[in-house]
Amino acid sequence: MTSDSDRQAIDAYLLRLRRGLRRLPAAEREEVVAEIHGHVLERLEARGDEGGGAVAQVLCAVGDPDRLGAQYETDALLRRAAGSRSPWLLLRATTSWARRGVRGIGALLLAVAGYGVALVCYASAVAKPVFPSRIGMWLSPGSTVTVGYWSGRLPSELIGLSVRPPASLIVLGTFGPTQGPVRELLGLWLIPAGIVAGFLCAFATTWCLRKLIARAALATA
Amino acid sequence: MAKSPSASPDTDGWEVQLRRGSLELAILASLWQRRLYGLEILRALESTAALGVAEGTLYLILGRLKAEGLVAAEWVDAGSGHPRKYYWLTVSGKERLRRMARAWAQLSANLDVLLEPVLDPKEAARDKR
Repeated sequence: MTSDSDRQAIDAYLLRLRRGLRRLPAAEREEVVAEIHGHVLERLEARGDEGGGAVAQVLCAVGDPDRLGAQYETDALLRRAAGSRSPWLLLRATTSWARRGVRGIGALLLAVAGYGVALVCYASAVAKPVFPSRIGMWLSPGSTVTVGYWSGRLPSELIGLSVRPPASLIVLGTFGPTQGPVRELLGLWLIPAGIVAGFLCAFATTWCLRKLIARAALATA
Repeated sequence: MAKSPSASPDTDGWEVQLRRGSLELAILASLWQRRLYGLEILRALESTAALGVAEGTLYLILGRLKAEGLVAAEWVDAGSGHPRKYYWLTVSGKERLRRMARAWAQLSANLDVLLEPVLDPKEAARDKR
């Protein structure tokens, strides 16, 4: 009932679908492909011999194979991520989700910001004993607090995570161990503080992402 | 895909969302009395409402429902030349469907009360005057 060119069109479609599903476990992938293949064949049988164009129409109704593959993949990733605490898996799942919609983009921004802050906190805590005079929590003119690296020269040469808390909190800065336009606030206390802050930030991000992802995995495409 | 006669550009997107939102319910409901394979589910949906999504999406949602444990599936070789994957509701799937159906009926009944005057032909005639 199908001609050679029809079969070629179907094979090409399934090949693209298979490629889109390449990150799925092989058994799962072949099952999806077999199911869609059966669907296409049966649709064609039901239409009988209508001549040219039937295959194209049937394949078009099933939908774009690349998109379908991507949806399957995002789904599988989100399902795995919803039960996971791995920032790596959560980030991968949200990246894939972000390609599909605004909510995904929002979740990705949250993931990048949250894990980014956690990373800066951890990295500062780890680097502090190695570069004690360069890494710290710095108070610079304009009452900006920065966690990260300072060259030790100009206040503008600060690299790191900056916040500008209410000026009244900056009074604390006067207790800092160093003097000058840029003061260091925490000294070696940065090590425990960085680890605790990094952990809390990563934990909160993971928690929020899992909530968002679990909800997304339930919603329909 | 058949468009309802009332569809206009500004309600199109809303209608699509509505259909998609109810798709899971419709799929589960089609399996209430018997096991079906993908294309049969699709035909059941088509006979009651336009699908509103690409057909491949149906299999995506079926896979999702299976992962959630609401449906189970099995390949059956019925001599049609290719095996078919049959789906049926699990116990928790039936339970979920009952809850969804109740929520839907409740919402729909509440909305009907609100919509009754809107759909009243006399009102439409009055507006035209």
